[in-house]
Amino acid sequence: MEWLIEPFELGFQQRALLGGILAALMCAVVGTWLVLQGMSFFGDAFVHGIVPGVAAAVVLGVDPLLGAAVAALVMVLLIETITRGSKLREDTAIGLLFVGMLALGVAIISQVDSYFGSLTAILFGDVFGVTAEQLRQQAVLAVIVVVVSLLLYRPLLAMAFSRPKAELLGMRPRATHVVLLLTIATAVIGSFQVVGTLLVFSLLIGPPATAALVARTVPVMMVLGAGIGVVSVVAGLIVSYYAGTAGSATIALIPILIFFVVLAVTRLARSVAGAKRVEVAR
Amino acid sequence: MTQESGGPPTVAARDLVLSYDRHIALDSSSFSIPGQVGTIAIIGPNGSGKSTLLHAMTGLIRPREGALQVLGKDPVAIRSVVSYVQQTTQLHESLPITVRQVVAMGRYPKVGWWRRLSAHDRALIQRAMDRMQVADLASRQFAELSGGQRQRVLIAQGIAQEHQLLLLDEPLTGLDLTSARTIDALVHGEREDGCTVVLTTHDLDEARAADQVILVGGKVLAAGPPDQVLTRRNLETAFGLGALHGWKGFLDSPHHD
Repeated sequence: MEWLIEPFELGFQQRALLGGILAALMCAVVGTWLVLQGMSFFGDAFVHGIVPGVAAAVVLGVDPLLGAAVAALVMVLLIETITRGSKLREDTAIGLLFVGMLALGVAIISQVDSYFGSLTAILFGDVFGVTAEQLRQQAVLAVIVVVVSLLLYRPLLAMAFSRPKAELLGMRPRATHVVLLLTIATAVIGSFQVVGTLLVFSLLIGPPATAALVARTVPVMMVLGAGIGVVSVVAGLIVSYYAGTAGSATIALIPILIFFVVLAVTRLARSVAGAKRVEVAR
Repeated sequence: MTQESGGPPTVAARDLVLSYDRHIALDSSSFSIPGQVGTIAIIGPNGSGKSTLLHAMTGLIRPREGALQVLGKDPVAIRSVVSYVQQTTQLHESLPITVRQVVAMGRYPKVGWWRRLSAHDRALIQRAMDRMQVADLASRQFAELSGGQRQRVLIAQGIAQEHQLLLLDEPLTGLDLTSARTIDALVHGEREDGCTVVLTTHDLDEARAADQVILVGGKVLAAGPPDQVLTRRNLETAFGLGALHGWKGFLDSPHHD
């Protein structure tokens, strides 16, 4: 068991593990709703929207969390304006918004001298640079994300079922949608230090999407997703330690590997079950 | 504009125009269906605007012009007593949710975002499932059901909700016999409970069985008791001359024209 403990012996490694687990937990819970609302692409666009905020914070020397929060608010406002006002196809508009925000972020960060290092940390994360103070912030954000995701259980379930029905049932889908966006933003803000804004999507969508292949209720999907997320963080850090690969990227890789393995297994199981049924019928 | 049974009209429109994605779904229509009439059928060919009219009765589609009143009020104002059952094809296919959870959503207007379901709520959920004969499916996944079973579950969700008016969008289209019979019995049961059922259909027999009929073909062509509305001339206007062959027997019966 020595090989399991060795990658987590040092302080920065333990902080990486803890930060990763907190990120995995909050991402899986709110990510479940993202997957069920059919908003995966949308979520991808959204997480990149915070890049310019973080970049501006680095340039101005203020807390990146503050920059990310401001950028997330701007994104929510812009998305709400696009989806309500414009007749343009929504996904096109959001796609453009995403790439525009990313470009803006890179343009801003290119103003600093340590341009390349800062950019890499924002986009791809710096899991071994997580500080104790960041961990405390992360823990608070994780609690907020999980609590809000659970409080919105009924409106989000009704919305996933049918948006018109949700409105008729008094579940206020528009308000719920805005709160969901803010919760996703909170999860991204609480996770980007660990896996970066480009790769956080993996923890947000990967574990819930995998859980959706086997779960039969939403709470089970959340718990399973959280489990897969935590396993990914632990496995990612171990692999990165022994293979000498980048920690954040390796963490982000694992949920996607798990997704395709589970997808293949469930498909295989289904075709075997189908073949058996044919045999019985004969 | 008669009001035989007292109370405000179940549904009344004045110069109503409804549009959907910018095109006119229902052109200028005025009609009134009296209160407490039992069953109302909205009949018309596909794309005639009948589902849009039903939708407008929930307040989800607002009139582009004119006015629409349901139970004497603006549709949005009376949502708490109107239950709308949409077509099964308009739903999320792979949502992990059980039949009981789907039916329980009918109690959401009462319990809101957070309040726990009371024993009374649970009893209503159970009763709705019993009436629609889906109680034995309670723990099954909604996505795994047949079309007829899904339709019954959705109606169970609708009747678990407190309502005076039940709106059903094509409830009997393409159903198995068991489901069709169960839904038919429900419609009659609702009438005995003093509720009004409004359903859309393109089946003349269903419309003939209703107490009141709204005939739609791009606009409301006629509204009132079936024998006054379902005349040969009206039906030819709504469905076109060639489309009436299958209904010749019905149309030729002296009772109906």
